[in-house]
Amino acid sequence: MSTPRVRFRGITKRFMGIVALRDVSFDVAAGSCHAICGENGAGKSTLGRVLAGVHRADEGSIELDGVPIHFPSPRHALDAGVAMVHQELAFCENLTVADNLSLGALPRRFGFVDTAALHARAVELLSAIGASIDPTRTMASLSVAEQQVVQIAAAVGAGAKVIIFDEPTSSLGETEAENLYKLIGQLRARGVTQLFVSHRMPEIFALCDSITVLRDGQHVATQPTAGFSEAALVRQMIGRDLAPLAVAAPSARGRERLRVERLASPGRFEEISFSVHAGEIVGLAGLVGAGRSEIARAVFGLDPDATGSIAVEGKPVRIRHPRDAVRLGIGFVPEDRKKQGLVLGMRSRENATLPTLKSFSRGGWIDRRGESAAVGASFERVALRAGAESAVGALSGGNQQKVVIAKWLTAKSDLLILDEPTRGVDVGAKAELHAWIAKRAAEGAAILLISSELPELLGLATRILVLREGRLRGELTQGEATQDALLRLMAGLA
Amino acid sequence: MTTPRAAPSGLAKLGLTLVRSPQFGLVVVLLLLGTTLTLAAGSHVDPQSGREVNNFLNRYTLIQMATDASAFAIMGVGATLVIIAGGIDLSVGAIYALSGVAMAMVLRALGPMDPVTTVLVGLSVCVAVSLLCGLANGLMVIGLGVHPFIITLGTMWILRGIAFVISRAESILVPTSLTAVAKAPLGLGTALYPVPLLAMLAVTAAGGIYLSRTVAGRHILAVGGNAEASRFSGLSVPRITLGVFVLSGLAAGAAAFLGAAFYGSATSSDANGYELYVVASAVVGGASLSGGKGSAISAMLGAVLIVMMRQAIRTLRLDQNYEWIIIGVAMIVAVVLDQRGTKLLAGRLSRVA
Repeated sequence: MSTPRVRFRGITKRFMGIVALRDVSFDVAAGSCHAICGENGAGKSTLGRVLAGVHRADEGSIELDGVPIHFPSPRHALDAGVAMVHQELAFCENLTVADNLSLGALPRRFGFVDTAALHARAVELLSAIGASIDPTRTMASLSVAEQQVVQIAAAVGAGAKVIIFDEPTSSLGETEAENLYKLIGQLRARGVTQLFVSHRMPEIFALCDSITVLRDGQHVATQPTAGFSEAALVRQMIGRDLAPLAVAAPSARGRERLRVERLASPGRFEEISFSVHAGEIVGLAGLVGAGRSEIARAVFGLDPDATGSIAVEGKPVRIRHPRDAVRLGIGFVPEDRKKQGLVLGMRSRENATLPTLKSFSRGGWIDRRGESAAVGASFERVALRAGAESAVGALSGGNQQKVVIAKWLTAKSDLLILDEPTRGVDVGAKAELHAWIAKRAAEGAAILLISSELPELLGLATRILVLREGRLRGELTQGEATQDALLRLMAGLA
Repeated sequence: MTTPRAAPSGLAKLGLTLVRSPQFGLVVVLLLLGTTLTLAAGSHVDPQSGREVNNFLNRYTLIQMATDASAFAIMGVGATLVIIAGGIDLSVGAIYALSGVAMAMVLRALGPMDPVTTVLVGLSVCVAVSLLCGLANGLMVIGLGVHPFIITLGTMWILRGIAFVISRAESILVPTSLTAVAKAPLGLGTALYPVPLLAMLAVTAAGGIYLSRTVAGRHILAVGGNAEASRFSGLSVPRITLGVFVLSGLAAGAAAFLGAAFYGSATSSDANGYELYVVASAVVGGASLSGGKGSAISAMLGAVLIVMMRQAIRTLRLDQNYEWIIIGVAMIVAVVLDQRGTKLLAGRLSRVA
């Protein structure tokens, strides 16, 4: 065996105590196109960023052509021949393509920028990868695809022998993606090693020689693409040994708490009709981008473009703002708890009463005792392992999520929308959250559960609705739902 | 659990609470500066009583400083609300000028009235004008979707311009009954006017209680801390934004009433440049320009610190021409120290977690 171009050895990376990567080791052969797959949050982008010098690994080492390397910054990585094409493109938007391509090394004459040389260099770099973009255009005027091409030109021009692509086609149209695939083919022909972070099956199988699968920050497998099936890959990405998950006993189905009829939002989803009854946990399954969170947001009044009708407790209602939803007794645990779920600078108590502070007040004055009592009871029910006065920003992911949930317990919401409630939460807290969800349903709450983790859906949901490309594609009851059946519906395999 | 510790006595507990309070650093700085000035100031013999009096630590200087600080502090409490909510209000000096001029003109047009009516009418005019100004700021910020810096920079010129035009740049005297209120001795003796000091303390207390004890105050902190999470919790972000601009306007109106009454006149150039002193008071007091953090008491202490530094230049007989340079340097130092402290604290918190 020849020396691998890149060798990851025991890479571990933590963010604020949360493990993003745990002891990841694998090799990338020189000149190959190597896919890195995994669910959202599996750590694939983090791994790319560690290699590109954006993050520094807490443990482990990386070897480039057999030589251990340490990149304190992306600049150092680039000098060593490792470049990254980012999801969020890092450019000076108001400068021209030529400026951006030479940024950091502007050609100078008598102390002024040498415009002619600048232009010539840009043309040279762009034509080297067969691109025909006018270098005098500003970055802001380019499409995302064109901006990517400029990033690639910059990387190749800097002599990169390893290029990391982070979900490069996530915001591209079909033809643009095709062009990118061609470019990737060209780069491979030149012997550039490519790491391709993606969760799109077709492109992985079309482009890549080998595949590494990450799950929950851990390395699952590295294998050649040949002789490997999409379904097997999906299972490796999502599936896990069915950990003993508290299976919710189907509780008595009560009255209808939520009915959604022909809900639609242009470009997001259409023709969505379903109902959730008291005592039910209705799962919403689908691959990333299928429209699950979008539906949740629409029901909670966060999508001004949504049309269709919604009835709560049998009565038709209009929900135009989350305020309306809160008043109707709907609680929403959003996908991104740090951005949407919590005010990180406030205390746990203050977060837990944010939607309902008025009910703990008289004439605008906060009744501190009433507030503390209610919050204490809620925190006890979710088994929060921190005081009510703790700074919520300093809590672990699991405790933060418990605070978000306590918010809706305090609000006495009996209709809960949970969007990835256990994402980024450690195993212990996860089990507690599962038990809590099952208990709330048994108490008569109606729960809409969105999750990318199939075992979670299979263990908890009484019924599972499957979404693909913004439409409902099927419904499975607890008895008939299996990982296989769900995966098939989600991916659109017959 | 660890071994049980002896329960701290009440006094120790109080001490701990004080040391941990966010105002502790500022208070220490104020006390240090005050002590330094007292020691360095020297003393003179009071011709009336014949006793030796410290040049800094005497009733007249302290009350004078409080009077100077009161305008910054009262407006600073209002501006702090805006800053906590994630905005900024640069128009407070102009609102001050317009409210004062409008009050003086209305009272002049109405002619002599009995003292109580005069005070009530004057106060009403100030409140009404400043409320409208704040409302205009808030409505434009939420309606036009332009950053409050730009909107209030615009209204800063517009409102001062209106004051200039309607007053024809005249200095307009206000009735003596107003001055009698603002300069009421309240038993302290001649040439000692405690009313601005008391007003400053009252507004600070009101602001502090508003932020910590009312639903509206909590909502301001939440919106400034994370507007999206607040919206996801059902809060109306535009309404809360509107509210803080109205309150900031009202605070400027209150300061204008007090100022015009105290000094006996109002002109369109009153409170010129105060907006920056006000913002400085808030940030020296630890308010974060990115929102979510700040307190009324700290804003007042910030205002007192700025005034005390100006006083230091006079007391220490430094060259007055260096005043702005000294204040500028001190403000940057204060904010940097505060941020370093916050970072240290955040680091400690994350290590505990």
